Amino acid sequence: MMASLLSTEKLTKHFGGITAVEDCSITVQEGSITGLIGPNGSGKTTLFNLITGIYKPEAGDVYLRDECITRAESDKICQRGLSRSFQITRLFWDLSVLENMIVPIRHTGLRALFGPGMFHEEEERALALLKRVGLAYLKDQPANKLSFGQQKLLEFAAILMADPEIVLLDEPAGGVNPSMIRFIMDLIRGLNDEGVTFLVVEHNMGVVMELCDHVLVLDQGRKIAEGPPEMIQTNPAVLDAYLGI
Amino acid sequence: MFKRLTRWWPLPALIILLIYPWIWRAPYYHVLGFNMLLFATMASSWNIMGGYTGYKSLGHSAFFGLGAYLVALAAVHWGWNPLLSAPLLALVVALVAVGLGWVMLRTSGSAFVIATIAMLLIFRLLTLNLRSITKGAPGLSQPLPPWTPEFSRMPFFYYMLAWVILVVLTSAYIRRSRFGLGLLAIRDDEGKAKMVGVNTTLYKMLAFGISAYFVGVGGGVWSYFATHISPVFAFDIIVGVEMILMTMLGGLGTLWGPVVGAFILIPASDFILFNFGSTSIHLAIFGALMALVILFLPRGILPTIKDWIAERRAPSQAHAEALTMAEMQAASERDLALVDSSVPKVKSGTEQANR
Repeated sequence: MMASLLSTEKLTKHFGGITAVEDCSITVQEGSITGLIGPNGSGKTTLFNLITGIYKPEAGDVYLRDECITRAESDKICQRGLSRSFQITRLFWDLSVLENMIVPIRHTGLRALFGPGMFHEEEERALALLKRVGLAYLKDQPANKLSFGQQKLLEFAAILMADPEIVLLDEPAGGVNPSMIRFIMDLIRGLNDEGVTFLVVEHNMGVVMELCDHVLVLDQGRKIAEGPPEMIQTNPAVLDAYLGI
Repeated sequence: MFKRLTRWWPLPALIILLIYPWIWRAPYYHVLGFNMLLFATMASSWNIMGGYTGYKSLGHSAFFGLGAYLVALAAVHWGWNPLLSAPLLALVVALVAVGLGWVMLRTSGSAFVIATIAMLLIFRLLTLNLRSITKGAPGLSQPLPPWTPEFSRMPFFYYMLAWVILVVLTSAYIRRSRFGLGLLAIRDDEGKAKMVGVNTTLYKMLAFGISAYFVGVGGGVWSYFATHISPVFAFDIIVGVEMILMTMLGGLGTLWGPVVGAFILIPASDFILFNFGSTSIHLAIFGALMALVILFLPRGILPTIKDWIAERRAPSQAHAEALTMAEMQAASERDLALVDSSVPKVKSGTEQANR
């Protein structure tokens, strides 16, 4: 039986009078690819922001391997093994592709701080990951010269440099062409086979149903359903939230 | 050949600076040289914070004044040699900066700029009003240097030259370190930097402290050079503005930009003062210059020259871009084809949990 790697307990967040997330409890099993779906404005990205420490909840807690990370800063959460991507790709635009890979490496201590920008073994690892996403030949290019698809791949590869246990992906297939979607899906599946757990927000239902082994559904900040993809497709509450039927 | 030239150009520049006081022997040139080196040090130091992290402080003259007063007080009360005490007392300045940074660096953008101006004004008010310590508005006088008058400015010149070298080396080291990479990441996207594990608060505070240190040294040496200091001159916002202007003119966030900026603006400032008298016209001209730099050289002189050379060296931009697209396609396919079991795998969650 798989153990819980990430869980939230009755998370609540309001923005003024608007309820973004209400009483939301979810569990992500270790080694799974869990999908998080819901109509626009259902609170998916807010939930990501609450989990990763960008927002602090008004109530409830977040646990990573039974350790409460509700009040932890984003950098500390990342250092504990939880990384994320963004809906709109965010890179260090003036830095080179290789430098973008080096920044997220998990290190503490003076040697890491004032030592060289990158150690040989780190550079090798970065190049290997870049090769895996087909970007190694662009290693010295500034990130702002990359195409949109390449930016997505670089963000993905850079996340992996931090050796995350769990990766939160916010619309990995958003705005990319079908062949790139297939490539990203294969990449996620390959990494999952190597032990990385994923929580994926995605609007492309084809991707969710094919990729995920468990799906959570949010509506108006609340979890309304969860289960295997085939069950979610026929769940009346989900159909009601999406289609109003 | 070109790369070798760009790598070694500081050496002839250093030789010229070493013989400068012996070629131009009039005291005026020694003062001019000292001022160029003083501001090159301070602008390079400001660049560590403003250029690398993007947090632009308008109140760095607070650290200049603090360094000046600490060194002057130590000389007056305890007889400390200012040239020896300046690097030590600048550590106090750096510590004060780290403490203040802990509070001020919670702000960003224009709020941070205003906070730094407020810090400068508070220091100035304190110096004016703590008369029992600072002697208030009339200021403090230091003993004259012990060496003979014909060499009066030369030791200051060489002392400051050593500090320019030190600050440039420090700046280069930071740029190549992980710390420097973190600072540049903060400049690009602070939220993202935090999200990928950079301790942004620590990085910014350290950068602020290091940046204040060299400005503090500059203030300490200047106080000895000037022999008399007062709050109006020691905590003058214009000193901080000049550091920014020099850095922006030479190249914000570059290694040599602040030095180049100082070596252009200090003689220019003297030229204006000589020709228009001791009015404040040079400030108006500086303001206009700043506007021109922002409009026409937004990245500064050195990055513009670098871009220009890169364009000249490329066969033609359009051709280069077309080539790059074709190369990109081929190389991407090559890279993807190479993906096999030889590529290191990401560690499994269990492995990581056991680390």
